[in-house]
Parts: sequence; structure tokens; C-alpha cells
Amino acid sequence: MILLDQFLEKSALVGNENRIMKMADFKNEFKKGDFEYINAPGFQLFFDIRAGEKGIRSALVEADFAIAETGSVVIDSSNENLRLATCLAEKLVVVFPLSKLVDSLHDVAEFLEERTSGMGGYVAFITGASRTADIERVLTVGVHGPKEMTVIIINDL
Amino acid sequence: MKIQTKIDEKLNDKILYQNLKGFATAYKASKENAYKGLDFEVLRTIVHDLKDRDLNKVMQQFNQFKENVEIHGCKVFQAKTGDDACRYIADVMKNHGVKYMVKSKSMTSEEIQLNQYLEKEGLSPIETDLGEWILQIANEHPSHMVMPAIHKTRQQVAKIFSDYTGEEVDPEDIKAMVEIARRFLRESYFKAGIGMTGANVAVASTGTIGLITNEGNARLTSTVPPVHIVLVGYEKLCDNFNQALDIVRVLPKSATGQIITSYVSWIKGRNISYKNEEGIKETHYVFLDNGRLAFFEHPKFKEALKCIRCGSCANICPAYEMVGGHVYGDRYIGSIGLILTALYQGDEAAKDILKMCIGCRACSFNCPSGIDLQSLISDLKLVVGKKYGINPIKAKVFKTVVAKPKRMKSLLSMGASFQFPLTTTHKLNQEKIIKMVPMLPKEMDFRKFPALAAKTFSKRFFREGYDQFSSHRKVFFYPGCAIEYFYPEMGLAMVKLLQKSGIQVDIPKKAACCGIPAIASGDPDNAKTMIFNTLDSLNNTEDYEALLVLCPTCGGAIKHEFLDFTKEDPDRYKKAAQLGQMVTPVGKFLEDNNIKFQVIDQKKVTYHTPCHDTRSLGYSAEVFLSSILGSQFVPLTDSNVCCGFGGTYSLDFSSISNGILNKKIENIEATEAEILVTDCPGCVMQINGGLMHQNKAVKVLHLTEFIENHLIVVE
Repeated sequence: MILLDQFLEKSALVGNENRIMKMADFKNEFKKGDFEYINAPGFQLFFDIRAGEKGIRSALVEADFAIAETGSVVIDSSNENLRLATCLAEKLVVVFPLSKLVDSLHDVAEFLEERTSGMGGYVAFITGASRTADIERVLTVGVHGPKEMTVIIINDL
Repeated sequence: MKIQTKIDEKLNDKILYQNLKGFATAYKASKENAYKGLDFEVLRTIVHDLKDRDLNKVMQQFNQFKENVEIHGCKVFQAKTGDDACRYIADVMKNHGVKYMVKSKSMTSEEIQLNQYLEKEGLSPIETDLGEWILQIANEHPSHMVMPAIHKTRQQVAKIFSDYTGEEVDPEDIKAMVEIARRFLRESYFKAGIGMTGANVAVASTGTIGLITNEGNARLTSTVPPVHIVLVGYEKLCDNFNQALDIVRVLPKSATGQIITSYVSWIKGRNISYKNEEGIKETHYVFLDNGRLAFFEHPKFKEALKCIRCGSCANICPAYEMVGGHVYGDRYIGSIGLILTALYQGDEAAKDILKMCIGCRACSFNCPSGIDLQSLISDLKLVVGKKYGINPIKAKVFKTVVAKPKRMKSLLSMGASFQFPLTTTHKLNQEKIIKMVPMLPKEMDFRKFPALAAKTFSKRFFREGYDQFSSHRKVFFYPGCAIEYFYPEMGLAMVKLLQKSGIQVDIPKKAACCGIPAIASGDPDNAKTMIFNTLDSLNNTEDYEALLVLCPTCGGAIKHEFLDFTKEDPDRYKKAAQLGQMVTPVGKFLEDNNIKFQVIDQKKVTYHTPCHDTRSLGYSAEVFLSSILGSQFVPLTDSNVCCGFGGTYSLDFSSISNGILNKKIENIEATEAEILVTDCPGCVMQINGGLMHQNKAVKVLHLTEFIENHLIVVE
């Protein structure tokens, strides 16, 4: 599985925790109560709040795609609460089925076109925690957004 | 402040020196990693080509973008000038009764000095990018396009934060400083009535903008406040997402050496907004002209509009590395900064900073949009040189001496005869040098100057009978001024070597300068005279296998600049084009002809790659040497980084030249080599001069002399 290895390598490079698991194990391990915000329609998991200035502890969201070339997840974030949650959670967990893993950036061009051709649209590529190197080029995470990120790949979907 | 004063101030800033040096080293390694497995040339050609368009095409893209967003109630404003853009944005703030506007980093807003404008109007823009925020509260401007506060240390930042917040800040704890920024800026997003972002790309097919950030501040800026303003230059437009993604693929890799940034956000029009009374975001697009649109029609300067603002031309610029972006550039920094200052702010603003380009061409080969930045700078130097004049002494020397080969020859041979009271022999390597240059300013005293050769190369060539050797195999050799007047032995070493291999060497009857000193100084008229003199002195190509050069800068001039300067003279243009095809550095000629060598001693050798070998002639002798020398060859760190010579640059900006040279010498010493080989007489003059000045016993040899003294031909 070259694509998966490539994704895992790139995702690990930015400090993500990567987990590969079966659907049943995912359901066992990750419970609704573990997150302050959940939006994972493919897993019928929802818990909606609007994150505010104080931020939230954690958020679980489902990615529409993942890109092996860069280790990124692609999330349609036009839902404002989802966007706020992914911007303001200290810990961000992103889940996607292996079937959504694509090879290169250009594989999501059509998706971007489709999701942003209406009145509004907001799609995010996320590759790791919020980071800066603006002070003495020292890499520091969590400057505005999440301080840690976990990627869960469901390998039997 | 005069430019020289500004330069001196930066050169004395030890912190800046360390920060920029550390960054330059780290950047090269991470960039190489980020592009691993990819073909940089292919990728940058794609970006270059997709950005290759005329005004008509850009306006088509703009109209499509506009239609796609206006149909949904977004507002599009076309700002002719920076002030128009500022006024529009201020009006949006005022109409909403908004005092605070959060901003994510936008170089375009630096270009139009938006913050200053808004503050004058009593409005409060708040920078949210950490580096920009540090500078905003310190009341400074960025010194780098993607790392705005690269000139600051953690201790300085701690002081700025402590003064601003009234809190105690641990001067060593960067993590804690980042926490402070998180806390203060978090509040800003929620109190701001408007969020303003730039755009890295603007996709015409849908009216979507793409934003590339690491911190996530652009996401919050474009999400939380009820109004979103996008400030964008027309040049950021592209047709569709395929093109946008081509740009996204290279931008972070070239900018910071990251494969991709933490966030790439694709934002379209009017999203749901709980903070907006209507429940839906109000969105404005301010498209900025400010002089751009005119240049889409310019045959050369339209290239500058292909810039994707990665800042990497600064990252690899040896002069930038010495002085930083507060001197090397203006609102935009690095090579592209010199150019955009001239195009957007006018040549008056750019006339001094343009001279600071040393001409090493590293930026042209590093640009992910494939812009030949150095050539644009060179063209602009000629424009401002002609308009504002150049150093009067130089102008006089070019006009009355260098452009008149006969007079130059007689003056320099007089010099050679009468210099003896000033010359001495350097005790380390027995080379003849100038003991002391009378009235030399202190900052120029960082290297020993070679004495003029007693007899010129041409004189010795004809007197010693090298013109008598004839063969059916012939090459033509253009010695250039350095070999002719300072280093004839480099030329003779080559002549002897080739004749031994049965190759006849012809040289010009009259020595003339290739014109580069005048071009680099911004003196087009004298450059043209010099180029015509040289061109007329070179034989036609028919009988020759190659036009050999030992100075790659001269070779590069024949290959490239001669064409520019002969455009209106078809006969000379044809000759220049034919000769240009044949220009060959000597190492390449030896390799191509399969002349094999063997080393005769055990000395450790390293190699400095002259800028114009690789970047003008597409050749480096490094592989040739290392294959002959095996384990005796020690690679030089940053071998292909400029030595700081740049011809008269080393006199005009001697302190920068010296700083660059010192880094070269540090790297040479680290190799522990006894001999440094290079194949440019200018690099020899600079590096050898510096080593002798510092009394360091490394021998510097041109490739031809190294071959003569340390190698033998294997039959």
C-alpha cells in the first residue's frame, strides 16, 4: 500500500499521531463523550456546539479526502461550527476511511471546484497542528489553533 | 539615511548576522528535502508557463472571478492605486462603525502601507501572524516576506511583549511567548468587526481564493468576524484549481522548505456567519493595480508579475544574508523586492538598492516561478544608471579607458612597468601583490590585490611563439581582462596543455573588455562600446571547434548579454549568436574531448564553483576534479555560493563583499584542503586576496594552473 505509507510518512513528519484501525475498534475506542465537538457523518457521529473565544478541548471531524503526496486531510469546512471547532480545539482528531486516500493534490481539484462554486464555500487542507517559527525560527505548535493532531485511518471501509 | 550608513548599521548587527546565516544554512537543507523525488525544473516551468499571460488574459480571469462572486452579492472593488485601496478599506470599516480589523499576513497590504493609513484615520488594524504582530507592536516593518521578524531574537521579542502586555516574560522561553500571542490575539478575533486577508491564489473558474498559512490565523480571520475583506493583486489570478494547486505544490517548499503548510484554505464568497446580523458573511474583494497592470504588456518586466511571494530569492541571496531585508529591498524584499520597488514605487526609490545585487544569479536558478530575477535587476540597473548616472569615477574609467582597448593597454602596461615600488612578494605563496594601495579606505582593505603582470597574456602569447603552432584542430580563446593583465599564466597553462594534445589555439589580435563591468554598474552606453570592440576582435566561428574562456563571466556575457546589446545590429547579432553557441569553459572542453588526467601528488584539494560557470555556462568542474582526485578531493560546503567578488561590486560594497568572502574562507578552512581550485580569475582574485590578507596558507589555483602543476595527461 504505497499511498498509505506515503501518507503516514508525511503526516508523521509534521508531528501527527497516526492510527490505523478497523471500524469496530474505532467505535469501541472513541466515544461521544470524549469530544466537545463531533462532526463525522460517515460514522453517524455528531455533537454540535459553537466554539467561542475560550476555545474547546477537543474536536473529532471526518475528512472528505486525504492526500498522500503531502500527508494532508481535506475537510469541507463550510459549516461554520465545524470550522470554529477545528480552529479552536486544543486537540484535533480527524478520521477518514482508507478509500478516501488519494495520490496527489490535483486529485482533489474537482472536489474544490464543486464545493466552492456556489454562494459560499470553505475547504481546508490541514497538515498538522497550528505552528509557527517566527521567533528565531524555533518550531512552536499551537500558536492560534490546535496544539496536537491525531489522524485515524479506518482500513476496512 | 544613506544606503552605505544603513548597510554598515546592519553589518554591525551580530544578532542579525547569526540569524540570517543560520537560516540560510537550514533553509537549503529543508528545501532540498521538501523537493526530494520531484523535478524542480519541471515544476517551476509549469508555474512559469501558467503565469505567462498578457493584460487581456488577466482581465479575462478577473472578469470571470468578479462575475462568480458578484452574482452572490460579494462586492468587488478595483483599486487603481494603493491609496484607493486603503480608502476603500477604511470606508468599509467606517460604514460598519468598526474600530478593530484583524489581518492575516498580506504583503500586498505592506505594499500599500495600509496599517499606516488606517491608523491615521483612527482605525485599528491588528496583525495576527505572530511575526507581523511582533513587528506591529514594536512599530517596525518586515525584513522577510514569509518570516517577517527574522531579524529579532527571543530576548528582543520578550522585551517587546513585556512592554506591550505589562507582564513579566521569560526572555528564553519561546513557547511561553507564543502562548502570550495566542491569548492576546484570540481576544482580537472576537472583538474585531472585520477580518482582512490577502490571497495566495485567486481562482477565476469559481471565484475562490486560496490561503497558505501555518499558524491558522487566516482561518480565524476569515471565519470569526462578520465581514471579510480580501486584498489581492491581479497577478494572483489563475484559471482553475489545477493551476492553483501547481502553485500550492511549490510555494511552501520554496518558502520555508515545508512540503506543505499546516493549512491551505479555499474560501469562496459568502459563508454562514453567526456574527453577521443577516446570518451571512459580507465579503469584499479589493483588486489592486498600483502599477501592475501596465507591466503585463512589458516584454521583460511582465516576468516579475509571475512572483508567488515565497521569499526564497532572499533565502539564497548572499548579499541579503549579510544585511537583511530592511536594507536589501523596501516593502518587498530580496531580488524580487529590488525589482518590485522599481516597478511599483518608481526607479527613484529603487536606484540605490538595485546596485546591491552582486549578480551571482543564484536567485534566477532558485525561483519556483522560473523568473530570471538577476536579468531583470541587470536591466533595471541599466535604466537607472542611464537616468541618474553612475559613480562618476567609474563612468570616467569606463568611458576613457575600458571602452578604449588601445588606451587601456598602454595605461596598464605603463602601470605594470611603474608599479614596482608598490609591489612585494607574499611570503606564504610567493605571489606578487600590491604592498599597499595608497589612500585605500579601511573597509576596502580586506584582501591583497595581485600586481599587474609584467607582460600581458597577448604579448607573451605572440612573443613566446604560441601563435606558431598549427593544427587542423583549432579553438579560439578569449582571455578577458583578468587573464590579459593580471593572470597570463592561467591562459598560457591552457594554451600549452591544448597544444600538447594537438590543438591549435588562436586569440584575438586586440584585447578588449567583455562589457560586464559596465553592465553591472549600470552603464549601457559604454557597455555597448566594449561589447562591439570585443565582438569585432573575435574571429568568426567557421574554423573553430569551440570558443574557450577561462573567465565564465566573460563567457556568460558573450552567450547572453552580447545578444541583448546587438539587437539593432543584425550582422553583429548574428555573430554574437553564433559565438554564443560555441562558448565553452575549459574544463568542459577537456571532458568533452575525453582528455584524461592523473594526479601526481597527494595534496588535499577542494573546489569553489564560480557563479557564472554553473549559472551562465551550465558547467561545473567539480565532478571532473573529484573523479580524477578520488579521496584527495574534499567537497566545499556551499561551493556554488558567490565568493563576494562581483567585479567592481567588491569596491562599491566592500563590506558586504568582505562578509561574503569571510563565509567562503570559513568553509574553505573547514575542508582542511591545501589547494583550492576554481575556474574564474575573478574568484581567484577575491579568494586568494582574502586568504593572503588573513595569512592563510591555502593555495588558490585556476583549474588550468592546477592541471599544469598537479596533473599529468594519461594517454
